[in-house]
Amino acid sequence: MNLTRSLIRVRRRSAFLASVFAALAALLLTPTALAQQSLPSIEQLVNEPFLDDYYSNVVYGYQIVNDTQHFASRYVGNALNCKNCHLNSGTKADALPLNVAGMYPKWRAKNGKRNGIGLRIRECFVYSMDGIMPPDDAPEVLAIAAYVTYLSQGEVMGAEPEGRGVPTLPATGYDPNPANGRAVYLEQCASCHGEQGGGVGDMPPVWGMNSYNRGAGMNRIDEAAGFIWANMPLGQDKSLTHQQAFDVAAYLNLQYRPADPRQSKFLKLLEDLLP
Amino acid sequence: MNWRTEVFAGVVGAILVIPQGITFAYLAGLQPEYGLYGAIFVTLFTSFLGSSSMMSGPNTAVAILIGSAVLPLAGRGSPVYIDYVFILCLMVGLIQLLFWLVRGARIFQYLSPSAISGISAGAGFLIVMASLDSILNLSTFNTTFFYEKLYIIVSDAKDLISPYSLFIGVVTIAGGFIGRRYSHRYFLIVAVACGYLAGMLVSFIWPQPVTELEYLGRMPLQWLPLHVPTVNIEYLMTSIKLIPYALTIAFIGLAQSLVIVRELRMTTDQEIDLDKEVYAQGLANFLAPFFSTFAGSGSFNRSKANRSLGASTPLSGIVAAGFVLLLITFLGPILTYMPMAAMAGTLFIVGLDMIKWSDVKHYAPERPELVIYLATFVGIVFFGLATGIAIAVFLSVSVFLLRISQLDLSVERDASQATLKVKGSLFYASVSHLTEQFRTLRDQDLTVDLQYTTHIDQSAVDFFTHEAGSMATHGTALTLLVNDQQRAFLLSLGLSDTITLRSTQPDEGDAASE
Ligand code: HEC
Ligand code: HEC
Repeated sequence: MNLTRSLIRVRRRSAFLASVFAALAALLLTPTALAQQSLPSIEQLVNEPFLDDYYSNVVYGYQIVNDTQHFASRYVGNALNCKNCHLNSGTKADALPLNVAGMYPKWRAKNGKRNGIGLRIRECFVYSMDGIMPPDDAPEVLAIAAYVTYLSQGEVMGAEPEGRGVPTLPATGYDPNPANGRAVYLEQCASCHGEQGGGVGDMPPVWGMNSYNRGAGMNRIDEAAGFIWANMPLGQDKSLTHQQAFDVAAYLNLQYRPADPRQSKFLKLLEDLLP
Repeated sequence: MNWRTEVFAGVVGAILVIPQGITFAYLAGLQPEYGLYGAIFVTLFTSFLGSSSMMSGPNTAVAILIGSAVLPLAGRGSPVYIDYVFILCLMVGLIQLLFWLVRGARIFQYLSPSAISGISAGAGFLIVMASLDSILNLSTFNTTFFYEKLYIIVSDAKDLISPYSLFIGVVTIAGGFIGRRYSHRYFLIVAVACGYLAGMLVSFIWPQPVTELEYLGRMPLQWLPLHVPTVNIEYLMTSIKLIPYALTIAFIGLAQSLVIVRELRMTTDQEIDLDKEVYAQGLANFLAPFFSTFAGSGSFNRSKANRSLGASTPLSGIVAAGFVLLLITFLGPILTYMPMAAMAGTLFIVGLDMIKWSDVKHYAPERPELVIYLATFVGIVFFGLATGIAIAVFLSVSVFLLRISQLDLSVERDASQATLKVKGSLFYASVSHLTEQFRTLRDQDLTVDLQYTTHIDQSAVDFFTHEAGSMATHGTALTLLVNDQQRAFLLSLGLSDTITLRSTQPDEGDAASE
């Protein structure tokens, strides 16, 4: 009787001591410890032998973004990967970063529905990847959504993250000139993307049936010009003039590429059925 | 063996299994290619190692159970989910191999045929409900009971149901029912074809971003999808939760395979070894994860088709496996644009076919069988497959025990003495039936005729000793009519010597067997 009571007391005291130590440790280590605890780096996660449901989905999403051809081949129709446009696996500012979970769901008057990040992801599959729209509960979509959520930790809900999308280039006062663009392309881009736009080696194609389709965001001259100015030629960000970026974007836009799935449905059907 | 019939049956089997593999993978919560690999490798291994013309492969009940086991642990189709499915299948394979080691095939005869029919009907119901998801293009939502789901669908029809998807589903089902009038064998293929064409029509008029139709998509198929399942401590710790499911799946998988095999053994002259079939199925399921697929079992409908085409050896299964590989390699690009609604439509037909009114009529005359059938069905419909199977097993065993503890007693009495004939098995559960008879016959000399008693145990001997004692106080005597074997046996169990043992003339049957 006595013995058990004293045992309990001892245990209580040690529990108390432990919690004091824990609190002290927490106070001292707060900045580093918290940061590490709340956001393990993606490399850490990849090497972890066992992950819970959320983090395993984050890793799967990361793998899809890097190697869409392999990990989400079901819905892909061209030779691109998400990271070809969402550079550095969606972490580079001004290169369509993916830390945008706080911007969704957004209200769209058109169908009177709130559209979540899922729909945006599925749209990139249909247009940028010229593929099939996955259902909104497809494992691939959920995994990418988990990865987007992971990247967005620390962002403010509803506030536009720094460097979202691509920079909007100021109007130059001249219309984009595809002929000029062709010259720029052959000089600055063809070494990687190929004279025929098909990509040299494992560089991504910028036109042709293996590239994004006419419905893609990259098919809008402003969007493409902003992307190219901020990120291309790879490794020499912002070396082009604004006008050069507009010109080369216009040139890319003139080339042939898969049709917009919202128009020319018959053509699309043929394109898809005849590989 | 006529190899041409075998090969033809194999080809038909391959055509039948492709939609099943795809849809059952969906039921198991996996990507379609896993089901197709199952249609190839599980079929191949079972036929190769087994001894019968049974067609194994992806199976409804097994697929549903896999889905309900793993879904609480991880998101549908995510990598962790797949890892868990593989671990589950390894467990299932091991348990089945264990069954083989203890020569456990016999215990499945205790599962009454009405229980198997009830499970099949219940699984059919679950399939129909699951197929609604894709036919109506619902996103996943969970309800406890099926009628809640129906209620939500009906009350929110305008928001939930996609008309495009519904159109394709309805065309598929209609195609199936009309096709059945003309060909009982190929109507599922007719149904799929109708659904596919309906899907083309829809996608020709409206683009996919508008219809949001779900397509099968490009399947990353490989000829040899080798894979080493991840097994580590953390997984195994969590997998403990899977053990009850592994047991259920192992059991229900073998039960279905063995029902098919037993029927084949009774109605054909194939040389079938039940234990070998257990071994084949167990090993096939154990190997499944190494070939990127999940466990399966014998398929009733494909085995039936196989037999009706005259196949009588495992060769047809082997050919079917090879042909699936060939077909999907060539059909791959076409399958990409297969609407899931068309797949679900065929699933709907398959599920509806499994709920047979004729089963109810078949079991109606036998009250206990009917009760087992209905209780199993209702159990599955309301509480899920695993619970339903538990009910089925429990009721089958209970009915079985009730039956064998029944004794067939007949009394002949004249002025001086009575003779009691005992047919059946005399053991602790059935002895009590004798008590009553003894009460009424106590004041006469009594002869108990044990010639037709199949089994006697210690409690029966104790009973006789005790009764002989109380009869002695009434001044009457007990005589047992036994054969030589029984005499020795009874004495060795310590039968009181107040009982007279009288030998019968040895029975003809016994004499012949000795
Ligand atoms: C051809 C280039 C390209 C590829 C490949 C691509 N995207 Fe995009 N993505 C864009 C562009 C351009 C935008 C923004 C323009 C717009 O809103 O239309 C965008 C926007 C997004 C957004 C929303 C970002 C925001 O700021 O709101 C998400 C999420 C996204 N993409 C996911 C993906 C995923 C996942 C993949 C791979 C399956 C992918 N994208 C592949 C070009 C691409
Ligand atoms: C050093 C090689 C290199 C050069 C030069 C280069 N790019 Fe790229 N470009 C890449 C790579 C690599 C990617 C994919 C980025 C990734 O995956 O990280 C890419 C991606 C792109 C994309 C988006 C993906 C796609 O395929 O549609 C466009 C558009 C693009 N580049 C245009 C250009 C233009 C225009 C120029 C010339 C001004 C240019 N690039 C010069 C290497 C290069």
